[in-house]
Parts: sequence; structure tokens; C-alpha cells
Amino acid sequence: MSKKGLEVQRNYPLNKKVKEFFWGGWCMQTNWNYERQMNTAFMWGISKTLDRLYPDPADIEKKKERYRAALEFFNITPQCGAFVLGLTAAMEEEYVENPDTFNPEMITNVKTALMGPLSGIGDSLFQGTVRIIAMSIGISLAQQGSILGPILAMLISFAVSFPITWFGGKLGYLKGQEIIQQISKTNLMDKVMYGCSVAGLIVVGGMCAGLVNITTPIVYNETLVVQDILNSIMPQLLPLCLTGIMYYLVKKGAHPIVIVIACFILGIILNYFGILAV
Amino acid sequence: MFFKALIVGLIAIFGRLDSRMLGRLNFERPLITCTLVGLFLGDLTTGLAVGASMEMVSLGFMSIGASGFDMNMGSIVGCALVIMTGADINNALAIATPMTLLSTLIETGAAVLRISMTHMIDNCVEQGQFQKAKTIDIVWGPTLYAICYFVPVFLAVYFGKDLIDAINNVIPTFVVDGISLGANLVAFFGFAMLLSVMINKKNAIYFFLGFAIAAYSGLSLTAISIIAVILAVLFYQFRYDGVSQLQVAGAPVDELDELDDDLD
Repeated sequence: MSKKGLEVQRNYPLNKKVKEFFWGGWCMQTNWNYERQMNTAFMWGISKTLDRLYPDPADIEKKKERYRAALEFFNITPQCGAFVLGLTAAMEEEYVENPDTFNPEMITNVKTALMGPLSGIGDSLFQGTVRIIAMSIGISLAQQGSILGPILAMLISFAVSFPITWFGGKLGYLKGQEIIQQISKTNLMDKVMYGCSVAGLIVVGGMCAGLVNITTPIVYNETLVVQDILNSIMPQLLPLCLTGIMYYLVKKGAHPIVIVIACFILGIILNYFGILAV
Repeated sequence: MFFKALIVGLIAIFGRLDSRMLGRLNFERPLITCTLVGLFLGDLTTGLAVGASMEMVSLGFMSIGASGFDMNMGSIVGCALVIMTGADINNALAIATPMTLLSTLIETGAAVLRISMTHMIDNCVEQGQFQKAKTIDIVWGPTLYAICYFVPVFLAVYFGKDLIDAINNVIPTFVVDGISLGANLVAFFGFAMLLSVMINKKNAIYFFLGFAIAAYSGLSLTAISIIAVILAVLFYQFRYDGVSQLQVAGAPVDELDELDDDLD
């Protein structure tokens, strides 16, 4: 087997390679399928590396083998995908360099082992924290009629997503294996998820109290205002109770569509009899 | 009408491709897409208002992975029809709900197609047609997603106006108010869905912390978000850096090791 490709790959400018990992990460869901999830997008992300590594038509069987390996089951938070692509590219290079000593199964193993932890970190950071914070700021400004709301929400999302994807790809390629060891040694996953859950949960708590104002217009004997009694116990008690009831329903596995339709029907009934109001 | 439906359809494609080709920058969320709809249909104020209320309602509806349950497509249609018919903004959710059901159905069908596309890619690789395998993934895949969003959005906006107008004329006021109450109830369902993936026995206290701060202080959500990030950093430091402070005694040894390495 020729090692001409290795030279091409090594001489290829680093930033161009990182650009491939970056877009590979962001395009991670172009063909999401129930069988192997993000496998074809992963193949697309690593394909240019493989094409450079195996330029010789004589190596086509080897190239097919590497493509097949890239097409195995894969799933990750897109922004973290660039890191895995970078690391995979580095290992593919290693395999071409030492075809006899480097076991190619290791590439698949590392890839598979990273899916869980990196998706855990990624989803709690991007979906659970950044999105919640960006959108809660965006909603409260948009409610005041300010276009700054959606603009800020976009900027916050971009400002976190872009550097993590870019430098994730770069670090993954340059010192991915070192970083994996650091992740497991320093318990990074638990730490990130802890920090994210604290910030995310405080904001969600704030939303339950501040975003939707549900009150009861019930008045007994023209003097006893029920809402005043509730307020004297705790402000925003009704929203807290509603969140509790809904949480119970979610835990019971109620289907979203059923709940949404039930909410409309209940809304019309409760509003008609003057039990709840916005 | 054709032109408006076309514009809204293109916004829908933009929203859909956000999670497909931009790594999910949250541009798909109702707050962003509804604002765009408002901007292009010439009613930014309504676009912002619908965006904020739809975002609030559907904040908990996450679409991690493939289909899931999201109101992104429904919000776009709801917002466009509310702007075009001048209906109450809370009707956006009432329009979005059946659209969400429809988009879930379409997505199920598209998922089958995508599995066969995956098999096509497998075959291309077996036959050494690498370029074709890549094209299927990066061109056909997003195109399929775009079509599955564009067509229903275009049709709903194109034909929906007359339907909504007709319904608006017969619907009594108490139903409209009830829908608005219902929309706010759905928001709590959204919060609960969000909580269900984030909360456990150990961290539930942070939820109540956020709730108490907001309920008693009445601070805006922007303020709460800033406080939340600060508190997260603080709690993190208490929890993890507190330990490493105790290990300071071990630090010089590491430095010596590094010196040794340098000397080598």
C-alpha cells in the first residue's frame, strides 16, 4: 500500500482541514435516519480526509473499508461532532502510517465511546442551557416589542456554538486522544453537566414564575378575593401548582398532542366559568 | 397571495435547515422564524408578539434527534395566518397545533425515505461511487427536509386565509378568550417537559431557587438569566474548586516534574 496519500494529507493546510470538520459537525443531521442515525453525515464529514489518504486507485478496497467504517451507527450533538471528526481524521492518518500495528477497530471504538459523553455534555449545554437562556432573554425583550429580542437570542446561540465547533474540530485533530484522557481523568462530563443544570434550572424556575401570569378571578360574597389569599401564601402559587400537575402528567407519559388539545378544551371551559384567567 | 405563501415557505426552509446544516443555532425556533415572517409580511410588531408567545408555549418541546415533537413548522404558519387575517395573536397556537400533527405525520413518511437513502449510500460505497454517496447525503438529504417543510407551509398559507376568515366569523368571543387561556396552560406543559429532562432529586432545589427569586423579586428574565449564570459559576466553584484548593500542597511536585521534563 502506498503512503503517497499520507503526505498529501499532512501537507494539506490545517485551517482547511478544520473547516471540513466544522462543516461536518454543523451538517451532522442532513440525513438523520432511524437505522444508523447520523452515519451518512459523519461519512460526509470525514470523506475528504479519506479521499486524500487513499488517492491511489489500487487502494480502492481499503478506501471502501474506511468509508464503510465511517457509515456505522453514529449520533452526537452536532457542535461536538467536529471534535470527533478531527480525532477520527488523526487516527485515520495513524492507520495509514502504521497499517500493521494500528488496529483500525480502535477508530470505531473511540468514536462509539465518545457518543454518549459528548452528547451528554453537548445537549445539556446547547439544548438545556444556552437555548433556554437565549430564548428567555429573547422572549422577554420581544414581549416589549423590541426586535433586539430575537437578534440577541441569535447572537447568544451563535457566539457559543461557533467557537466550540471550530476549536472542537481543531483540538480533536491536534490532540484528541490527550483530551479524551483529560475528560475521563478530571470528570469533566459531570462538571459541565452540573454547571449547566444549575444555570438551566434556575432560568426555568424563573420562567415558571415570571413568564406566564395565570390568576383566578373567583370572588366569594363580593369580598373574598381568592387570588389575594393565594398571593398572601406565596406569589405565583398557581403557576407553580400548574407546573407540578403538568410535570406529573409528563412523568406519566402523556402524549403531547393529547395534552395540547386538552389544554385548549380546559382553557375554554375554565375561562367560561371564570375559574382561571390570564 | 402566491407571493406571500412563497416567502413564508422559504422562511420555513431556512428554519428547517438550521438544525440540518447549521448545527442547530436555534434559528429554527418560533421566536426567530415568526419575527422573520413578520418582517417579510410587513407586520413586525405582530411577528414579534406571536414569536414570543409561541416560543414561550413551545420552549419545552425539544427536537433532539429526528422527529420528536416541535412546533417550529406550526408556528410559522400560525404567525403568517394571524398577520394575514388580522386574527388575535393567541390563535397562532390554535393553528399551529393541527400543523404540528401534520408535520409529525410527514416526518414519519420522510424517515422511511431517509432509511432507503442510507442504503443507497451503502451501495454507492460498495461500488466505489464515493462522490455520489456524498451527494446523496449533502444534497438529497437537506432537499428532502426542505420539501417536507415547504410544501405543507406553502399550501397552508395559500389556502388557509379563507378558512381562518370563515372560522373567525362564526367563533364566539368566549372561545377566543378560552383559547388564549389554553395557550398559556400549554406553556406550563412546555416547562414541565423541559424539567423532566433536566431535573433529578439532587438538583431540584435550583429550580425552586429560580422560582423563588423571580416570584418574590419580579425581576425580568434577562436579569434572572444573568443571576443564573453567576450562581452556576459560584456553585461550581464551591463544589469542584474547593477540592483542588486542598490539594495545593501537591502542586509544587507537579512543577518539579515539569522542570525535569524540560531539562530532559
